Amino acid sequence: MAKKKTNKINILVDGKPITIVEDNFLLPDLLKNNIAIPTLCHHKDLTPNGSCRLCIVEIEERGRKRLVTSCNFPVRSEIKVETNSEVVKKYRQNLAEMYLGRWPNVEIIQKVARECGATDKDKYKSYLTEDSAHACILCGHCTRACNEFIQEDIIDFAGRGIKRHIAMPFENVDPHCVGCTSCAYVCPTGAIQVSDNRNHPVNAKLIQEHGMKVNAEMATLDPYQCRMREVGTANIVEVMNNYDLLPVKNFKYGTHEDTWRIDSNMMKKSYFTQGHPDQCWHGCSMACAKAVEDFELRTGPYKGHKVIVDGPEYETAAGSSNMGCFDMDFCVEYNFYCDTYGIDTISFATCMAFVMECFENGIIDKKDTDGLELNFGATTDTLEILHQMARGKGFGVEVGQGIKYLKNKWAEKHPEKADFVRDIGMEVKGLEFSEYVSKESLAQQAGYSLALKGPQHDEAWLIFMDMVNNQIPSFEDKAEALYYFPLFRTWFGLYGLCKIVWNDVVPADNAQKHPPQIAAKIPEHVENYWKFVEGMTGRKVDEKIMLDESAKVHNLQKIMGLMLGKNSFEDDIPPYRAVGPVTEEEYESRQERYDGQLKELGFDIDDKTTPEKMAILRKYRYEQYDKVQKAAYKRRGWNEKGIPKIERLKELGIDLPELVEIIEPLQ
Amino acid sequence: MLTINNRDKIEWQPGMTVSDVLNKMGYNYSLITVTVNGVLILEEDYDTYEVEDNAQISVFHLAHGG
Ligand code: SF4
Ligand code: SF4
Ligand code: FES
Repeated sequence: MAKKKTNKINILVDGKPITIVEDNFLLPDLLKNNIAIPTLCHHKDLTPNGSCRLCIVEIEERGRKRLVTSCNFPVRSEIKVETNSEVVKKYRQNLAEMYLGRWPNVEIIQKVARECGATDKDKYKSYLTEDSAHACILCGHCTRACNEFIQEDIIDFAGRGIKRHIAMPFENVDPHCVGCTSCAYVCPTGAIQVSDNRNHPVNAKLIQEHGMKVNAEMATLDPYQCRMREVGTANIVEVMNNYDLLPVKNFKYGTHEDTWRIDSNMMKKSYFTQGHPDQCWHGCSMACAKAVEDFELRTGPYKGHKVIVDGPEYETAAGSSNMGCFDMDFCVEYNFYCDTYGIDTISFATCMAFVMECFENGIIDKKDTDGLELNFGATTDTLEILHQMARGKGFGVEVGQGIKYLKNKWAEKHPEKADFVRDIGMEVKGLEFSEYVSKESLAQQAGYSLALKGPQHDEAWLIFMDMVNNQIPSFEDKAEALYYFPLFRTWFGLYGLCKIVWNDVVPADNAQKHPPQIAAKIPEHVENYWKFVEGMTGRKVDEKIMLDESAKVHNLQKIMGLMLGKNSFEDDIPPYRAVGPVTEEEYESRQERYDGQLKELGFDIDDKTTPEKMAILRKYRYEQYDKVQKAAYKRRGWNEKGIPKIERLKELGIDLPELVEIIEPLQ
Repeated sequence: MLTINNRDKIEWQPGMTVSDVLNKMGYNYSLITVTVNGVLILEEDYDTYEVEDNAQISVFHLAHGG
């Protein structure tokens, strides 16, 4: 991650001391200190280009004075600054008069002229003078917005000297323009205007205003926050490894010394060749999708071909570590073939991790796998399983049935190891877990297991709130989070909107403005979603409307599951691997943590063996889970068995006879 | 002794800055907010802000990713 400089430098501005962070440009700090500086080409969210020269100030460095444009002057030493000396005033006034002569009717020019004491409209009147109030003043906001907000270079300066103007390539309308309207938004004169709104939103301006906020955040904050443009979601591989949350060997561990082989630095250094916006959402400024080009495949029907691979994202890399395959070539190849065959990388990786652990524990052997050696880290044989799955031949077909199927089959085959097989099969409701270790976060265990669609990756938000921040300590706090976040998620999903712009970039003052419980929701970004809906449809949304809309669908999903004989209380309980250590080696690898927790809870464990301690921990953790499960049900308006109450359906206005009929006997 | 997020304890050392605390905790997350005894510390001050002994420190990680 780019790290901001933190060295402070003391400077004197018009005789007053100001502290400024080294390398910061001067102008923003002057403005912050309420010093008026006229500007034309400066824009708070864009890189300065120093072209209008109005922001000029006089600086004194080591006894020598000179004029500099403050917007692009980086402070590196203890300078003295004069913002309003005679030289400066004279310079600005003359400049402003030239601008006024050329663009006499443009409002922003008139304003700047007033500020600089320039009154003579005619002094610089010439054949270049443009009378339009909406003339282009060549500030360059638009070209920078196109480049910095959405990483395009559609619009640019053309011509030289007096012929300099703004244009698209070859003076034509460029078909690559995504119509994002960023250029029009930042244009201070109205020289660029939006002339059509093809989707006919009720209030295009409202949508534009909120969208532009995200654009500006992406341009200015993303390099220091999540680096979505640089590496996409892969940025968290190394983070999860550091917090003991990266699944390693079927979720046994949360960290591994070889993670550097598959982290975002490795991807960036040796793999990613494409990071350009791929327009998965037209005009999206996040551009989180990355691609690897010219990748030569080692196996399968396209062996020897050079291909383009879309990814890998976080979950795909974490799937590799989960299979014990710390090998980036493997990661890219399984990513490619999963995409090509239409197989989900997460389900595949989690399922294979289970198969590998079963293989290493003698639940299955080479007779079952047609001779394949499926130990953790078996890259080549794992790819063979993937190809078999697609060909419909061999052991891969079995694996393709998923963990739930395999778990039942193998538990029956080995009754003496049935409990172990069930404990390590990481699925709930037939869906394989996504790639986060949830053992140390009760809320996350519930987030995954109570999700109606199964433990899918977009339920993985509570882990930091709970485990690291300790911000939802009580069962009620957890239940509240388990109410709000899944419903928010369901809600914007229903509108077909993407999640990334909610929390993969965050307003700089989010935590200053809100207490932690509220800050976690990122209120300004939630509002962006509401305003988008309002701008499109004309209908206002607030938190209650949003949650109720979503709760309707959520309850319908629940009842439909019940109709299909699913979604029972037991279907909401995670396998123990998601809750705590299943094996002795797993317990002992984090012994300090687990022993410490048991002692803190008041258990006397001094002369207990590892299996004894594991049993105590297991009992305790499942009891905790039971409490959180029930608290979450209660908050949702469901009974202790997780069945929606009839009053709740009434409240939501969905107490249709055919639904009531299903849940009535279960009340 | 310093208390982090109302739960974790680490040994205090004279001259310890916010950056030292974050390093000690292994917190390398990109969306972090720190308060020391309720006072918000800006990122640009992490390297220079010294924490006192017995301080209550909150290190708030904002969820992202997935
Ligand atoms: S609408 Fe967007 S893509 Fe098109 S020129 Fe303007 S900023 Fe560039
Ligand atoms: S079109 Fe507007 S934004 Fe672009 S240079 Fe001209 S005045 Fe500035
Ligand atoms: S604002 Fe600095 S040169 Fe234009």
